[in-house]
Amino acid sequence: MTADRMGQSRRERPGAATRLLFAGWVAACAATALFPIFVLLMVSVAPGTALFGERPALIVTAPTFRFWRIVAEGGDLWAPLAKSLAVAVMTTVGALALAAPGAYAIARLPVRARYGVVVGLLVTRMFPEFSIGVSVATRFAQLGLVDTYVGLVFAHLTGVLPFVAWLLVGAFEGVPRDVEAAAAIDGASRLATLRRVVLPITAPALAVAALFAWLYSWNEFLYARLLTTSQNTLPLQVFQAIDRGTRQQMAAVAIVLVLPILGVVAVLQRHLRPGALAGAIRG
Amino acid sequence: MGERVTASRPGRPRGPGTSWIGAHALEVALALPLVVYVLVLTAAPIVETMRLSVSAPVDGGFPSLGRYRALVASDLFHAAFRNTVVVVLLSLALEISLGLALALTLHQRFALRGLVRTLVLMPLGVPTVVSAAVMLLVFTRAGYLNALLLAAADGLGILGIEWRFEPVGWTVAGGLPTLFTVAVADTWKVVPVVTLILLAGLQAIPEEVEEAARVDGATGWRRLRHVVLPLLAPYVTAAVILRAIDAFRIFEVALVLAGRVEPVLGTFIWSRYAPPTSDPFTAAAAAVVLFVLILAFVVLYLRLVAGREEAAA
Repeated sequence: MTADRMGQSRRERPGAATRLLFAGWVAACAATALFPIFVLLMVSVAPGTALFGERPALIVTAPTFRFWRIVAEGGDLWAPLAKSLAVAVMTTVGALALAAPGAYAIARLPVRARYGVVVGLLVTRMFPEFSIGVSVATRFAQLGLVDTYVGLVFAHLTGVLPFVAWLLVGAFEGVPRDVEAAAAIDGASRLATLRRVVLPITAPALAVAALFAWLYSWNEFLYARLLTTSQNTLPLQVFQAIDRGTRQQMAAVAIVLVLPILGVVAVLQRHLRPGALAGAIRG
Repeated sequence: MGERVTASRPGRPRGPGTSWIGAHALEVALALPLVVYVLVLTAAPIVETMRLSVSAPVDGGFPSLGRYRALVASDLFHAAFRNTVVVVLLSLALEISLGLALALTLHQRFALRGLVRTLVLMPLGVPTVVSAAVMLLVFTRAGYLNALLLAAADGLGILGIEWRFEPVGWTVAGGLPTLFTVAVADTWKVVPVVTLILLAGLQAIPEEVEEAARVDGATGWRRLRHVVLPLLAPYVTAAVILRAIDAFRIFEVALVLAGRVEPVLGTFIWSRYAPPTSDPFTAAAAAVVLFVLILAFVVLYLRLVAGREEAAA
């Protein structure tokens, strides 16, 4: 943008100085985005002394894997990892099973009703999640669901469903009714039409929704905190390490939490309309 | 988001009440589990919280504004309210301006654009708790920001400019520096989201429009100001609203970075629920205040800012 001048065509190249400036700006953006992840990596292998004094070293010259070993052998990693994985997978399956049929029905509502439902879903997001969480946790406590996988999955579903439903309503709206009508004329039952025609068309959106449900659960902190008394999930483990552990241990656990997600983001952003990705991610 | 609604098809002709259900049995059956789930586990807790906020066992009586009066009298609540507004304004300013700059950058064609795009989007995959933890490493007294500023002071010294920098414990200093760390931590994590929304908006602008402005002799800056930004306005509105909703409810980042010195509404509500206070009534009242604050912001923004933009366009 900055480079073009009056009357210049899109193909023409801007001057060398502008290009150099632009390259510098792009490099600075990428470096800033990656800096905190780099810090985590460095801190997780820093010998204790590297972190003392006024100026922490930016590059650790004598890396140690002592803290990784402590984390891996101390039982602070594998059990939370297993719990986080199991809960995330169950949440994903549950979210699709509940939201996909519901979103299809909502997408087939008259416009005004559909708009009302979508706005309603957005308004539930304006209420402090914390209060919803406490209320849900109290109810789950009465039902004996504290410290169970099922309880946490149910709680995560309350957080996931509004935005997964919102995402899928958009996808199902995109399926022309004529396609369904054509299948009906060919003698397919409505359920068969859904399974053989509508689902394949919306498969990419369903995949995106599944990934989001998985991401949400994998990152989720609040419900996990309210509904856990014995076995931590990974985000809880990070928080506990902030409170009590060493910085290196915290960094090591954090990296285990981050790495799979970076892979997911890298894959996701290739296959997405930017709008769909942005709309579904929480800050 | 609004434009989706305009692409409407006329709904099916609707019969009288009972036959509607008969005609849409499949739809009703498909939607029922989702509707029940959202009603029981989201809507009901919201109503329950609202009910708690007007029940006050101490003052007696059911519809009671006692908890709200207690909030109005509480200095801590005042601080939390003020801090929340400051953090929201700071983060929105940072996030929208940086997001716009990044979106414009990624909209250009250049070598390695795909790679840069992936790298720039990375932070959105980092769990909020982790981003808060990293920011703690950056902003403590012996953290990377201070190290950077000390190095800058040294550099200026070599150039003959005297600047003495005293290391600051950003997260414990209180006041604006601490709120600033919260806003920066939030910004780092969510700028990619804003970037994606605005990038979608840029991609939706037909090339002919920009081309026409170019042919008319508009320079880069004027094209941006008078052609691109007005067309981008609805996307900016969407970004502001989505971000504001989350920024008002900021919790994990504020708890880790500012928890001990500066409350925000999110951490205030948490502290009321937690054991030493254990006062769900006050917590519920504060939650309702936060909800109303967010709703008011969204409605006012749509009326005042977005409405004016529409009138101008």
